[in-house]
Amino acid sequence: MSSITDIVNGKGRFVDDISFPGMVHIAFARSNYSRAKLLYVKGGYTARDFPYFMASAGEGATEEDLSLRAPVLASKFAAYLGEPIAAVTGKNRYEAEDNLDSVEIDYDPLKPILDPVEALNSEPVIPGVKTNIISDRYVGKEFSAGEAEIVLEDRLENRRVATNPLETRGIVAAYDGTKLTVWTPTQSAHSVRDGICESMNLGKESVRVIQTDTGGAFGLKGGVYPEYIVAASLAMKLKVPVKWIETRREHLMASRPGRGVVGNMRIHAMKSGVIKGISGDVIVDAGAYGGASWSSGWIAFQITGPYAIPNAYFHARSVMTNKVEQGPYRGAGRPEASFMMERMIDLLADEIGADPLDIRLLNAAKDKFRSPTGMEIEASAGFMARAFEKMEYRRLARESKPGISCFALIPAVSDGESCRIKVERGRINVWLGGNAHGQRHDLWVAKLLSGKFGVDPSIIELQLGDTDMLKEGVGSWGSRSAIVGANALLKVADKVIAHVKKDKGAYTARALLSGDYDEYEYANEKGMLISFCANLAVADADAAGNVRVSKLKAYYDVGKALVPDVVVSQIKGGAVQGVGQVLSENIEFDQDGQLMAASLSDSGVLNSVQSPDIDVYLEEVPSRFPHGAKGVGESPTIGVPTALVRAIERSAGIRIRKTPVSPEEIVNARSRVK
Amino acid sequence: MKNVKVNIKLNGRKFEREVEPRTLLLDFVREFADLTATHMGCDTSNCGACTVLLDGKPVKSCTVLAVQADDREVRTLEGLGEEPLMKRLKEEFIEKHGLQCGFCTSGMLISSYSLLRKKSDPNEKEIREAISGNICRCTGYHGIVEAVKSVKGETAREKLPESPELVRR
Ligand code: FES
Ligand code: FES
Repeated sequence: MSSITDIVNGKGRFVDDISFPGMVHIAFARSNYSRAKLLYVKGGYTARDFPYFMASAGEGATEEDLSLRAPVLASKFAAYLGEPIAAVTGKNRYEAEDNLDSVEIDYDPLKPILDPVEALNSEPVIPGVKTNIISDRYVGKEFSAGEAEIVLEDRLENRRVATNPLETRGIVAAYDGTKLTVWTPTQSAHSVRDGICESMNLGKESVRVIQTDTGGAFGLKGGVYPEYIVAASLAMKLKVPVKWIETRREHLMASRPGRGVVGNMRIHAMKSGVIKGISGDVIVDAGAYGGASWSSGWIAFQITGPYAIPNAYFHARSVMTNKVEQGPYRGAGRPEASFMMERMIDLLADEIGADPLDIRLLNAAKDKFRSPTGMEIEASAGFMARAFEKMEYRRLARESKPGISCFALIPAVSDGESCRIKVERGRINVWLGGNAHGQRHDLWVAKLLSGKFGVDPSIIELQLGDTDMLKEGVGSWGSRSAIVGANALLKVADKVIAHVKKDKGAYTARALLSGDYDEYEYANEKGMLISFCANLAVADADAAGNVRVSKLKAYYDVGKALVPDVVVSQIKGGAVQGVGQVLSENIEFDQDGQLMAASLSDSGVLNSVQSPDIDVYLEEVPSRFPHGAKGVGESPTIGVPTALVRAIERSAGIRIRKTPVSPEEIVNARSRVK
Repeated sequence: MKNVKVNIKLNGRKFEREVEPRTLLLDFVREFADLTATHMGCDTSNCGACTVLLDGKPVKSCTVLAVQADDREVRTLEGLGEEPLMKRLKEEFIEKHGLQCGFCTSGMLISSYSLLRKKSDPNEKEIREAISGNICRCTGYHGIVEAVKSVKGETAREKLPESPELVRR
């Protein structure tokens, strides 16, 4: 991995910085329509050349249900705007784009189905299937409204947002006659390898994936994409190195965005504010094909969050639409779940005239609690009380109208992670299955390992992901790396120490560095590691509906902060993404299915003038792991949006049901209230 | 279309190349001169990852054709490396967590550097405005603003270093 010094010196090696003699560039002819029959496709490389399908068919589909697998290149039917149909090459980007003129596509456009609720009952959005519903589950336990004195309902929505890392997707691939080597920015070199192998039916030993310096990812770079399969195929077919770098426009239309969830929620409560139950529908806008069936059930599972709500029952469905497949975006289901819960609890507070903190404290878990969906949490009441005291909620509530939120973060701990430590010539190299992309894993690796080994941190180097250097690996997502990555690291360090002892009788740093050691372990991990977090926001909406965020605060239990200022920096960056989701981030389509966000600014990413700062308070209750850390990366995109929405709601005197909320919507909602 | 000859003084060295007239300065710098600190983050001139100095002024190199830079002086991050002000800025970017993934960093450094050369003691608002054409998706800008703040007030008025050599490649 390029060191931070290399990066500030402009010496990072991002994927677009990799070049080989004779390398050709790839450009894609993509569907101009959100839904169309393809009458013919001529020119370029097409599905005839590469008749592959994407590897994952999603939870709702059986192994045999080929109809839900996305083709790598569309041949008869285009299911979303920007779907790749043909590929061309050129000696540089310009020439490749010119060569797109050689591709002819004849379309028979059909009316696209873009609204997931409409898609529940509409004709199928792709041919060959009977329904658009790709995952359909009931989560929790049915209950009767019986004793509840109040039942409130609302329709809530998080619209889709683009992940928008500053470096888009990209790949370089080369084939030497026996082995395919792929360089790509990624959260998981192993996922890219496995995806390529499965799609193209290659053996794992014949593909090597090497992570390049990764210019942000946020969920986008956790998996494999059709363009990557095409690049791999072209490298093998043409026997020259190939490169594809996504344009921002392609990113906005054809790379997997996050969110895109509608919830019809019902909260059952007593006049005292005690919540008896929550129920409703969770509908995920999965986009075309079967890949995004994972999130609806996952959202429903965690809706009750930090509260001890005795009843919960959800109908969770993922529904296909004529849009690109949905994917994980920082939080990946967690922000959506919290949005549902927190919006309903605020609604209840307003209904009975209770203070939003009092009602949260009233319903917080006083003891260990197992939710009706099976989510197990520790007592949360003490945490909430501490959090809002530290954030001075009561004082602020006297002088302004703060919005607050609480949530339970569930990092993706399960399946663990792998690590390899190699000691050679007095230096220590480390590989982790989860590949860093700006979170400074190098710092905690050096800190933990230098402590463990008693060596100078400067001789420890975390390497980029590389499937030839590390047998197996999971990935860096779901707030997991410092938890499971550090756990694997310490386990392998123990193995190294044991090995040194065996060799030399006793462990010393000197004995370690004078020998050669190479140890690996896949540290599997089951169970969950849930932590509590809280946010506070103050904002004003002016007469034109423009929002000024005047205060943001976070109080998170991060376990032991391995590198505290990196933790804070992660929270600050994520907070701005959370604000963006509320104020502006959106990739809207018009009725005909044409994308309205054609640029980075149109898609609503905030710039430096629009971005507020956030005060961060860390609570450090150690986790059960030897390093003591808990999750952190996704917390700000979970808690900031809900607190901010509430602050805007209170300042504007309106009810907010969806993100983003535009100035026009604020003005219109206000005029309806008056 | 016929190729045209352009002659750009790039980081103090003369680069003469025949290019297609449509070649962006960004591609000239990255492809022909192999200077990869300057990044492409968009195709819609919104991100600022491609910022370079053209005759001492910051420009988005994806909005300038190489031919427009003919006979002019271009500096990329690589060409400002040893400059004391830039060195200080880089140290502070690391210290204050002004970067995470680092993809925006060269552009951010150049925009911040230009600000500090114009105004050695900018306030927070001026800093935020000066970098508002540079998008950072990771940091939320806070660390970047802090980094620039901590360099402010220091002597920022030195001249751009003179060209060390003129080499024809
Ligand atoms: S590459 Fe984005 S502004 Fe130039
Ligand atoms: S550090 Fe990643 S975009 Fe700025």
